[in-house]
Amino acid sequence: MELVLETNNLEKKYKSFKALNHTNIHIEKGSIYGLIGKNGAGKTTLIRVICGLQAPTDGNYSIYGIDSKSKDIINARKRMGAIIEIPSIYGDMTARDNLVEQFKLVGMPSLDGIEEILKLVRLDKAGTKKAKNFSLGMKQRLGIALALASNPDFLILDEPINGLDPQGIIEIRELILKLNREKNITILISSHYLDELSKIASHYGFLDNGSIIKEISSKELEKKMEHKIELKVSKQLDFVNYFEKNKISYEVIDGNTINVYGKHNLSKFISELAKNGLVVEDIHEIEETLESYYMNLIGGDNNA
Amino acid sequence: MLKLLNAGFTRLLKSKTFFLLIAFSVIFPLVMIYFGYNDMKVYKGTVEIDQLILNYTIFTGLVCSIFTSLFLGVEYSDGAIRNKICIGHKRKNIYLSNLILIIITTLLSYLIVILIIVSIGIPLFGNMLMKFSNFMILMGCVFAAMVAYSSIFTFIAMIITNKTITAVISILIAGNLLALAPYCMRILEASPTIQEARFIDGEMAMFEIPNPRYPSDKKRIVIQTMLDVNPAGQMFQFAQKEVKNLKRLPLYSLSIVIVFTACGLILFEKKEIK
Repeated sequence: MELVLETNNLEKKYKSFKALNHTNIHIEKGSIYGLIGKNGAGKTTLIRVICGLQAPTDGNYSIYGIDSKSKDIINARKRMGAIIEIPSIYGDMTARDNLVEQFKLVGMPSLDGIEEILKLVRLDKAGTKKAKNFSLGMKQRLGIALALASNPDFLILDEPINGLDPQGIIEIRELILKLNREKNITILISSHYLDELSKIASHYGFLDNGSIIKEISSKELEKKMEHKIELKVSKQLDFVNYFEKNKISYEVIDGNTINVYGKHNLSKFISELAKNGLVVEDIHEIEETLESYYMNLIGGDNNA
Repeated sequence: MLKLLNAGFTRLLKSKTFFLLIAFSVIFPLVMIYFGYNDMKVYKGTVEIDQLILNYTIFTGLVCSIFTSLFLGVEYSDGAIRNKICIGHKRKNIYLSNLILIIITTLLSYLIVILIIVSIGIPLFGNMLMKFSNFMILMGCVFAAMVAYSSIFTFIAMIITNKTITAVISILIAGNLLALAPYCMRILEASPTIQEARFIDGEMAMFEIPNPRYPSDKKRIVIQTMLDVNPAGQMFQFAQKEVKNLKRLPLYSLSIVIVFTACGLILFEKKEIK
């Protein structure tokens, strides 16, 4: 498993406030990593530190295996593109001029790829319109276009769909998927929009109070988000044997809790268990979403 | 660094602020020539083109402060500095490339002024009165002071994130430096004695008495140094063609460049960028 980005106990303090608190993140090559956290959880701070805009107070990170304390980290960043909150674009220039500027900044030998990138982000018809007159969606797409100028392997997008209308959200989503699938670009994307993230992310990192409290792949998460029944039982081993024998998908949560996955008719399921001498003390049917999973992780509604 | 400069010049050529600066550098000397020509016709006087060239230097600080704050101020407001760091440019190179860009633009705008005054002024008013070699030495000192100005205003623009605050502070500093120069000159030009009228036996008599406002030797050194270190003070002296410490002035300019650039590089390296 090749990691594009890895952080080790990363810490960032602003006076006495810890914005990042022993943050550990692992982003696999080729993944779309959804960074989830409430406002102030530390998402943007983490991205700023990774992009070299701010120095960590403690800990370190590595990009493509190059440690943040090494001088070569500058070269590792040359393989990255980033949009942090607001796209970095010159408002008094056209989309094309902004790209020309970016091509020169990254030292591209020619300006040949500009039209292709403009087409990719669907700004090829923006013409002489100044970027300051673009819609927010167009600005975001131009920001992504600039980030693509250096043919990056790793793209960091901080809240790229904030403030966009539904059409804009769909356009950005499709663009992200296209970049990931066709150009094999690893993408770190932070967002509040959990529904949107669940449509594109292959991995998730849940950030709370500056710490990553859980990293999980979308496959694992899907399994966890399956329809499930939570059973409180006393003779756990008997249940486990029964589930194994009948090939029922389950997970032992703790000493007296077992989750059973899949759609089951609750009354039939209980009577079936009873027939086999398995007594259930308590039973709950749970249908989890990314949102409820996240809320459970950070400690429920009180913490939201 | 070359990539940053290349991109910087590309932006410069697309920048309205730059074209406004060029327009000002064309129009201002034309206005100076027009008034000079009018005065020559009405009062039958003479107009020295070297004087016109040197007079303009007084305004270069103000012009540089406005241009730098507007041109570099955008670097933060449009997220350009953030972008440059994210794509792997060293902060030191970002700072220095911006400084070089401002120096070149400031000098270029003054060269345009010189070119216009020389090309239109010589046919109208005749050749320079100053010896060419002396003029060139003065020009060298003027350019050094302009580089000093550029380093001061680049420092401000690269340290302050807010474009408006950068503009206000830069213009205030340029204005204060400009105001400080004639103030220092007035003190230095004070006569050692003044005349006092006294009535003796009903008749008025004039006496020479020491001027209480005449600065002591120590104070003179301090004020002269203040005038010499201040780039605006240097420009006033060049415009008056009376420079006491001509050899020292480029050294003061160089010191300003070194101090402001070193401080700017250190602070910018540590700056937390949002």
